[in-house]
Amino acid sequence: MSRNSMDLTDRRTLLKLTGGAGVAALSGCLSTTDDGGDGSDGSDGGDGSDGGDGGDGSDGSDGGDGTDGDDGSDGGDTGPYQIGMVDSLTGSLSAFGERNQRGVDLALQRVNEVEIDGRELDLIVEDSESENQGGIAAAQKLVNQDGVPFLIGAVGSGVSLAIYESVVQDTDVVQLSQNSTGLNLTDFPGLLRMSPSGRSQSLALSNIISDDGYDEVAITYVNNDYGQSLTDAFVNAWEGDIAYNNPHDQEQQSYSGVISEMDSSGADAWLFITYQAEFATMVNEVYSSGYEAQFYGADSVSGDNVIENTPEGSMEGMKIVVPSAPVEEENYQSFADAFESEYDQQPTSWAAYAYDCVINAALAIQAADEFTGSALRDTVRRVSGPDGEEVTSFEAASQILADGGGPDDVDYQGVSGPIDFDENGDPVGFLQVLEVQDHAYEGIDFVEG
Amino acid sequence: MTVLGYLANGLVFSSIIVLGSIGLSLVYSIADFANFAHGDTMTIGAYAALVTFGAVGGLGGAVLGLPYGFFLALVVGIAVAAVVAVGTEKLIYEPLDVDSIGLLITSIGIAFIYRAVIQIRFGSDFTRFGIQPLRPIESLVPYGVRVTLHDVAIVGSAVVLVGGLHVLLQYTDLGRKMRAMADNPDLARVSGIRTKRVKLWTWVIGAGLAGAGGVFLGLFNQLSPRMGFNLLLVIFAAVILGGIGSVYGAMAGGFLIGMINQLTPFFSNVVEALPIWPGWLAAIVRGLISIEYANAIAFVIMVVVLLVRPNGIAGEGAT
Repeated sequence: MSRNSMDLTDRRTLLKLTGGAGVAALSGCLSTTDDGGDGSDGSDGGDGSDGGDGGDGSDGSDGGDGTDGDDGSDGGDTGPYQIGMVDSLTGSLSAFGERNQRGVDLALQRVNEVEIDGRELDLIVEDSESENQGGIAAAQKLVNQDGVPFLIGAVGSGVSLAIYESVVQDTDVVQLSQNSTGLNLTDFPGLLRMSPSGRSQSLALSNIISDDGYDEVAITYVNNDYGQSLTDAFVNAWEGDIAYNNPHDQEQQSYSGVISEMDSSGADAWLFITYQAEFATMVNEVYSSGYEAQFYGADSVSGDNVIENTPEGSMEGMKIVVPSAPVEEENYQSFADAFESEYDQQPTSWAAYAYDCVINAALAIQAADEFTGSALRDTVRRVSGPDGEEVTSFEAASQILADGGGPDDVDYQGVSGPIDFDENGDPVGFLQVLEVQDHAYEGIDFVEG
Repeated sequence: MTVLGYLANGLVFSSIIVLGSIGLSLVYSIADFANFAHGDTMTIGAYAALVTFGAVGGLGGAVLGLPYGFFLALVVGIAVAAVVAVGTEKLIYEPLDVDSIGLLITSIGIAFIYRAVIQIRFGSDFTRFGIQPLRPIESLVPYGVRVTLHDVAIVGSAVVLVGGLHVLLQYTDLGRKMRAMADNPDLARVSGIRTKRVKLWTWVIGAGLAGAGGVFLGLFNQLSPRMGFNLLLVIFAAVILGGIGSVYGAMAGGFLIGMINQLTPFFSNVVEALPIWPGWLAAIVRGLISIEYANAIAFVIMVVVLLVRPNGIAGEGAT
């Protein structure tokens, strides 16, 4: 008997520990949720609200003091204009940071060849470590110490929002995010962004599916902010029936339950809003279960790793919508040529977004009467807004401004799209529709968001 | 999909979980600690097989849709997992003079090391064995059963391995010694059993089965550095449900948890069809019995079983 009770206590401690370790393990999972790695991951925006405790309101308004100090321009009217950038140089989104920096370097070259009224543009880049706290610290340094009136940042939607809420809001500083696609950024008109909102993807998907003649769709989405928000936007836009709409958890070892339910829902169009690894598992299970359906997907399900790890013909005809630069436009092609000769590789749209951020900032500075946040806030939208003469390079736009043109006389057409920020600070997104043909992605169409 | 189809899916998934849970339970009963590196031992087996299969190729013929080379890779995967586990035992667990809780925490650290090594060598992205996935077996599709020959191979190999373990435990000298040691290590030692040697064999068998489970998991789904770790919680649930320390309990627990996990869509169909009264209760139940909570449902069942039988299905019987 004594052995028995000992056994029981052993078991009890074990259970406790297992539970504890389980929690630890789960929290581990949480942190890795963010390394999913692709652009849309940036939209794990829920984290954004945490930012509130990072820097409180008073810090934010200190930022205002910093900026009206005009320290930058005090250095004589010949010194460079200083603006700041918060980028993911390290951390889970560092791949984006790398792409951004290539675009940024190229843009700075373009600007400084021409110069802004005889002065150079200087960009101070700080690392966000792809985390909210790191992003806030970087932004506080830029705004409060360096006194920049214009801040480019950040990659992850959560980080962008955290910076906006705890550093930029209530100051004159202009914030322009280079890569955030989270839907909730739309709710903050003061926070501009260069990359289109995920909402435009959902709208585009809804149009494509109904254009293909389906009136019933089965949806499965990854169980987080990103999946939920894109799905909600899709459901709002979709006018047909929704036969199945259920989330799934990340990193499960089997999704055969999900796909068999999608199959029994009777819908012939299946929409996947999830990540590459999960999607590859599902495709393999669909294939080995012998189901047939027309697949659709958000940008996060596309990737070479999906193509490599799924059988030939298993995704034939699938359509995916990805944020894209208008790669057929002339100004994108000249950007791509310059990029290739500089870096020996094709640019990504994420580099194009960062490039346009810098050019747009430079034009806003040139068009503004003075180098302050409030002046830039006025011009930043207008230099790339729909009014004025359409130009595709900094040089041409700068020329118009130098010849006495106002901000409304210029309409800078970015390499990533027409820009044209709307009242919520979102750009007119450019999306590419990819179709899987012979087990490879082929661009078949472009849509404006 | 029919009940039969869900049961077939459940059987395949259970096979993998059973292979994982036996090793965990075996090591618990004899080495006396919960090995959190067990999931990553599965990963090691899977990646060892990946490398071997990449090196030797198909080797000509194929059986059950799997080239001969894959079976060689399976053996190598099992061997490498066993060698790594024995090496870890010799280098770390054995010299470490701490109690079972200390060992448990150590094993979490070991798990991170295994995973990091794999990540350094293979990157964090997922991959698959270079084996063409199969379509379901045609003759079974009319019954709603959609399994491939690969699934049959997984279940078959698992049955062979589990059967072999049963024979080993019941009818061999080593098996008797292992059971004796699980029951009472001190008494076993006094009666002349070389407990250290038995312990090493336990590691070999436990980790070997985990390696096999990892290889099959890679075949069933895909390989990634987190694959084993992601399954570990489910395996723990299976082991505790079965009665930790009991090998046959682990088999039963693994089988049940795998089945419940895959049968959730069927349960939700059943709940859908049941006339539950009042309506609000029906809505709640239907909302809860849903595929997104498959793992949670498995855990709830585990808790319920433990409330009734605090020592798990296999009671307090060791081994």
